[in-house]
Amino acid sequence: MMKRKRPSVGMLAIATAALTMLLSFQTPDPAPQPYILNYPAYFGGRFTIPENNPMTREGVALGRLLFYEPKLSGNNRVTCATCHQQKLAFTDGKAFSVGVDGTLTKRSSMSLTNLLWVRNLFWDGRANGLEAQAVVPLTDPHEMGQSLETSVAKLKTDASYREKFAQAFGTGDITGENLLKALAQFERTLISAGSRYDKYLRGEYQPTAQELRGIDLFMTPPSPQRSIRGANCGHCHGTPKTFIELFHNNGLDTLPKDAGRETITGQAIDRGRFRVPTLRNITLTAPYMHDGRFATLTEVLNHYNEHVQPSATLSPFIAEATNAVGGKSLMLTETEKGDLLVFLQMLTDSTFINNPDFSDPRFLRSAKP
Amino acid sequence: MSKKLCNPFLLAALVLASIAGHAQPKPSFRVEGEVLKPRTLTQDDLLKWKTAEVKGKDRDGKEHVFKGVRLVDVLDSAGVTLGAKLRGENLAKYVLVKAADGYEVIFSLPEIDPEFTSQTVLLAYEVDGHPLAKGEGPFRMVVPSDKKQARWIRELTTIKVVFSKD
Repeated sequence: MMKRKRPSVGMLAIATAALTMLLSFQTPDPAPQPYILNYPAYFGGRFTIPENNPMTREGVALGRLLFYEPKLSGNNRVTCATCHQQKLAFTDGKAFSVGVDGTLTKRSSMSLTNLLWVRNLFWDGRANGLEAQAVVPLTDPHEMGQSLETSVAKLKTDASYREKFAQAFGTGDITGENLLKALAQFERTLISAGSRYDKYLRGEYQPTAQELRGIDLFMTPPSPQRSIRGANCGHCHGTPKTFIELFHNNGLDTLPKDAGRETITGQAIDRGRFRVPTLRNITLTAPYMHDGRFATLTEVLNHYNEHVQPSATLSPFIAEATNAVGGKSLMLTETEKGDLLVFLQMLTDSTFINNPDFSDPRFLRSAKP
Repeated sequence: MSKKLCNPFLLAALVLASIAGHAQPKPSFRVEGEVLKPRTLTQDDLLKWKTAEVKGKDRDGKEHVFKGVRLVDVLDSAGVTLGAKLRGENLAKYVLVKAADGYEVIFSLPEIDPEFTSQTVLLAYEVDGHPLAKGEGPFRMVVPSDKKQARWIRELTTIKVVFSKD
């Protein structure tokens, strides 16, 4: 009996070792690799990545897959990319977007560019952080229209997702929280810094005389007493990021149909105030404003120059800006508007809209019409 | 008293006043962060305090008289480390002031504390005897020694004391 028992113990040990090896092959070391963010120093470091969602290559890759995943919508046809198409700097070219229920969204789809530096997302700034942002369009009945629970259940039917969640978050248990975290990680990588304006900022491009005039006008506040002409755009769209995180009523309406930030804060002084968006890739993101009312940049310039509507909450910085002593509007010349337009065209970044890292990872689907 | 309260007109007025009060809260600003007593202050609160006046040249290039309370008194009321306590690591604190539109500026505590500076940084609610204009008030910072008015923050909503964590 004793003789027989000893070899059996040895065999058990060998079997255990073999099983351990087999298991270790099935689940390779899950430690995800850190994702190194690459951005120009002139964008500055004022951003926060949540401590509980550090960026990893696996997390970003999963987020990209989910960004293009139709299973996350109620009718299995809508993805994040439906309203945020890379070729249009992650907008959809429409004033309002169509949701799964066929209704239109309340506001125009925003460009997903350099969101790493945005702290309060949406036109009204209601979401603090990209994780909190992502849940809104996913679950809104007029957008993708599906609860996180249903999305998770649908993803669980795909074994490859279990593996990818394990690689990104160390657990194959697909959860709504990790779904949002992965999407946020991918969105933080959408950095646009390859435009002609960037090349100029890096000293790699000599702008034309008209472009230089445009840059100067854009960034300068007018001071007619000192004979300084300016378009004052930089007050809100200053810094190389071309936005400062502000909420302003830019004089679209005397009685705004959409109360904007007031719906979030409940304060009357926020009526008709909306977040200042980036102007990066602005030539690609028409139509313009929160309701897509302007089809062209010329219309936008004409608005700021001569059609600003007075109201109790109109930004004083817009109301006060003029190029004529005692002037009631901005009073730029047609030539100056042309110069500004040429500067805005400098902000188009073809490397951003063609970056394969941001495209649909499922080539076959993206190749379909 | 009870008879007065039974007056239906007075009751209606009281109900309406309370509804109006709920619909639109009185404008206020918040003092928070590294403070002993975070607090929300309205103009009614400030009117009970000692007033201060400063003269300063606004963006229009003209000199105006601003009335309000000293920023140092606002911070002191929330228990911020000022005066004798403004030393050592407390000198690595800064004051982040935010406006309704999201605009933000910072001050260091010694720029505000009268033991360090002879200038008065004012939290203003009046200019030349009138309430501050819409888009400017009800609360605005006035920093007379700043030649540019970029820190004369309008529509002030939050004063946050923060430790530099660098």
